[in-house]
Amino acid sequence: MTSARHTWLWPVSLALLGAAMLAGVFWGTAAIGWADRWAILTGDPAAPRSLSLIVWQWRLPRVLAVALIGAGLSLAGALMQTALRNPLADPYLMGLSSGASAAAVAMIIWAPAWIVAALGVPFAAFLGACAAFSITLGLSVRPGRMLSPLVVILAGVAVSLMFQSLTAFFLYIGDPQATRAALGWLMGTAAGTGWGDLPVPLAATVVVAAGALWRAGDLDMLLLGDERAAALGLRVAPFRLAIFAGAALLTGLSVAVAGIVGFVGLIVPHMARLLIGARHRRLLPLAMLLGAVVLVCVDLLCRTLLAPEELPLGVLLALFAAPPFIFILRRVRDVL
Amino acid sequence: MSSEAFLGIRDLHVEAGGLPRVHGVSLDVGEGRFHGLLGPNGAGKTTVLRVLYRAARAKSGTITLAGRPMRDWTPRGWAGVTGALVQESGLLSGLSVRDVVEIGLARTGLSEGDTAKRIDEALDLAGLADRQDQDASTLSGGEQQRTHMAQLLARDPALYILDEPTNHLDLHYQLVLLDEVRRRGRTVLATFHDLSMAARYCDTVTVMSRGRSVATGTPADTLTPDLLREVYSVEGQLEGTLFRLEGPVRCDRL
Repeated sequence: MTSARHTWLWPVSLALLGAAMLAGVFWGTAAIGWADRWAILTGDPAAPRSLSLIVWQWRLPRVLAVALIGAGLSLAGALMQTALRNPLADPYLMGLSSGASAAAVAMIIWAPAWIVAALGVPFAAFLGACAAFSITLGLSVRPGRMLSPLVVILAGVAVSLMFQSLTAFFLYIGDPQATRAALGWLMGTAAGTGWGDLPVPLAATVVVAAGALWRAGDLDMLLLGDERAAALGLRVAPFRLAIFAGAALLTGLSVAVAGIVGFVGLIVPHMARLLIGARHRRLLPLAMLLGAVVLVCVDLLCRTLLAPEELPLGVLLALFAAPPFIFILRRVRDVL
Repeated sequence: MSSEAFLGIRDLHVEAGGLPRVHGVSLDVGEGRFHGLLGPNGAGKTTVLRVLYRAARAKSGTITLAGRPMRDWTPRGWAGVTGALVQESGLLSGLSVRDVVEIGLARTGLSEGDTAKRIDEALDLAGLADRQDQDASTLSGGEQQRTHMAQLLARDPALYILDEPTNHLDLHYQLVLLDEVRRRGRTVLATFHDLSMAARYCDTVTVMSRGRSVATGTPADTLTPDLLREVYSVEGQLEGTLFRLEGPVRCDRL
């Protein structure tokens, strides 16, 4: 897995991201001619004002948010797979999505309008994700002993089930109008994201990515096993906790901005690993780039396939994720 | 010997899973000596080693390395002078053989050139030079053991902590790799099940049984027919470095 063999991957994936983002900005429900596209992007005053508004106030922040979420979920997934040493781990494994769903659905269905206006569904979703994460960790911690990956996975499953049944209960007793809105949120959508949604996830992604790259060598050690990592001088327990916290932060924020966006955090790290190997200094940046590319493309399709209707991200992601998932499962099955 | 011992363990007590596993083990290993930790399954050998490579905590007792108590060392400092061969399976998929060796050298502060040179030498020794780009998860058990041994030899710590170093290895690599460890003259603490191998490599041994140390000394002095009968429930004796089974194996062991 020499790095020289993979140098072509960086310009190619950067170009892909650039192309995907340009496509995301250029295409959509409102048709824009090629001449206008260039004029709008360069800030030419001759550009039509309404189209300029669509690009700068709607599409660009949305494309950036989706790229950020794709990169963040993919990073979170890669970190979880390493921390739990489980190829099928994903960012939602610790019950984060179920906690966020239950909180968001409760908010959409029950909360009076003034509370929704004051707090917002995203904030409630983030709080729900934090609650689920805390409960999962609380169930997993055994005083004086290392956090066992298996116990974390089982606790996450239990917490997920608990919050899923709560969500189902809320949906069942809610009125149909609110239930439809809640279901739309549950399947993930970046509709309506604006510039104001960007700074917090951007800051979190930069901080977590920088921290993960700084400790890339230690993440590599975790792949060898907890005991080997400890023997190599790593404080395994606090390090693993820090990884969980970083992954949970990214996941919680992405859920707050775009709802439940599944599969990216599970599949994209595997795609990156197949391309560039498991060393984190190379794996994490590539996983983030590919995650951004995948989600920007899928979001573009969601906006355009049934325009002017918009599909939830979850619907198309599941469709695209199934074939690679089956391929990865076959590979994993052969290795285990 | 305790005043000049490179590694000293005093009255070590360890619990694992809420059960006492090691009760009051003490031993000393002089600098450059090869010390074996022997005993039947469940004797507590690996538990002692796990404390030494920081995967488990002692309940009480003191451990000193180069005259400094273990609690005064930072994890990183400790890992700088010790290295362990561990029985554990990781998630090696996506890592090449060379990657696995290199990961162990990440914190050594060696230059890139020195790191590469050490990795090349270690891979050569372990017979893996021509397979260094192969995915480590596709290796056999013995080849994975050789890969981890190569990592340890590339790090070349002052104290080698070896848990069953002959595990999964064919006879050729058992001898090649342990001869190399011996040749380097480092201090070694290793567990063995094969008493002939223990007798071949160890200057001194400690025999453990049910969490206690029951005998210590040179292999010839320690591994007497009486001790083998009492600890292993076998009738046999050591002749040079050869363990000879002399009678029926008793089945009354509980």
